[in-house]
Amino acid sequence: MSGLLLEHLVAGRAARGGKGFRLPPLNQSVAPGEVVAVIGPNGTGKTTLLKTLAGLLPPLAGSIHRPRAAWLPPPGAVSAGFSVLHLTALGRSHLRRWSSGLAPADLEAARAALDRLEVGHLADRPFDRLSSGQQQLVLIARLFVQDAPLCLLDEPMALLDPAHAQAVEAAIRTLAREDRIVIASTHHLPLAARADRVLALGPDWAEMAAPARALAPDRIRALFGVEVDGCPCCGGPLS
Amino acid sequence: MDFLNRLTPALPALILALLALAGAAGVLATGPLAISPGDLLSALFGQGSPDAELVLTLRGPRLLAALTCGAALAGAGAGFQILFRNPLAAPDLLGVSSGAGLGAALALLLGAGTALVQGAAFAGGLAAGGLAMGCAALTRSGDGRLALILCGVVAGALASAGLGLVVIVAEPYSQLPAITWWLLGSFTRATLAEALFALVPIGLGGAVLLWLGFRLDVLSLGDEQARSLGLPARRLRLAALAAAALMTSAAVALAGIVGWIGLLAPHAARLIVGERAGRLIPASMAVGALFALVIDRLATAFGPAEIPVGLLSAALGAPAFLFLFVATSRRS
Repeated sequence: MSGLLLEHLVAGRAARGGKGFRLPPLNQSVAPGEVVAVIGPNGTGKTTLLKTLAGLLPPLAGSIHRPRAAWLPPPGAVSAGFSVLHLTALGRSHLRRWSSGLAPADLEAARAALDRLEVGHLADRPFDRLSSGQQQLVLIARLFVQDAPLCLLDEPMALLDPAHAQAVEAAIRTLAREDRIVIASTHHLPLAARADRVLALGPDWAEMAAPARALAPDRIRALFGVEVDGCPCCGGPLS
Repeated sequence: MDFLNRLTPALPALILALLALAGAAGVLATGPLAISPGDLLSALFGQGSPDAELVLTLRGPRLLAALTCGAALAGAGAGFQILFRNPLAAPDLLGVSSGAGLGAALALLLGAGTALVQGAAFAGGLAAGGLAMGCAALTRSGDGRLALILCGVVAGALASAGLGLVVIVAEPYSQLPAITWWLLGSFTRATLAEALFALVPIGLGGAVLLWLGFRLDVLSLGDEQARSLGLPARRLRLAALAAAALMTSAAVALAGIVGWIGLLAPHAARLIVGERAGRLIPASMAVGALFALVIDRLATAFGPAEIPVGLLSAALGAPAFLFLFVATSRRS
């Protein structure tokens, strides 16, 4: 079983004095190859949910059955003075149990992944010197190198110009085509519209639906409190 | 060819280490009593001339102390700088140096012998480091780097306060100079046995840092990144901190408080080998050993009275650090 199964999962942060918060319980299963977009207003817990799914935060209740997970933090969260190639190769850290260095195979895998996303020419540059868009592509290349069956992406499209956004979306699609589960939080509704399913996170409710249903004007109004006349992506009428 | 390719990344650190060794041989061979390198080599195997034997017994221990302390402080400094992603991180970040100073001063106050003073300094350094790490573990702020820095400041401040108290109650004509002299640092007081003994914790800590290698790079990305890349971040970071604290405590116990090496050497090494921990740690150790060697040589270069190496390392280290900082910032 390499799918993702959530049973009464309650994500959130426990804190004393009522400062914590809980997400509504989730019962879902996601199959390999599926792209799920998580949408919702700021502060509803998209990041918390993704971190919980990645195993970085403990669930407050319920359980998660998941394969090995890879996690992409939001743009700008990673800073490293060493080379892009080294950072990408670190995606295979979990394979090097006892050696003090990475193996030549790790560097080859990193180079191949960078070439695949057409950022191979940046391999020897320090990661910190790249633009946000380039950094994001490099970090997605690292997801390929990590080769985890479950990829959790936090706002992968934020801060990107249209060209880089397109490249990132294409890469996300490739991740899924190779039978990985991709779950991405986003405010970029066109990405959500082209996902397989959309998980809408409201203040105290959560709903998983097909994009056409989740992005319908009434659902968008319920979620964000804004009026939209048509499809939020293209402006055209919704079927 | 494949072997050569694997060797290339390690080459700068190797060359630096050889340079440090050559410097050591040079220091041994020169001075008031000049000895030929060949004579020195045979003396090393117990068959040299009486002069060479004498040089080895007199200069050997302090040379060993300078090399190990320099390497230990620089290695620990590089480890802290990588872990905290902070160019100002130095081996006394966790209050280790102040703790060791307090331990040594207390032992001197009680009239203990050299071995006991060194033991007390070692224990004091580890206690301060342990206090800082323990307090930081109680907090729950992010990945704990800020907590560690703050708790290190607290542990260092407490130790400094204790040291001040010891200095005040110390007997002013015998104990106070001993304490002051100890705090200013020197490689001369180590006997061969003590220098070899310090090599154990320093070697252990150094081995841990070297083994951590690329894992330090992962840790420098932050705990969440490290965990999502499949590494047990907390345990590895604890191992790195403990290794660095162990090395610092042992170095301070052996030589007193010799600042700046731990701050300066990693920066110099970074200019040569870049940011990657796997190369930076060994290169820093080599640069640190070389720097300590030069300082120790200068300490005796101006007449019969020895200048404390702690003073010299600051007098040379601070301007050198500024120079390196300007050089790096202009290069980028």
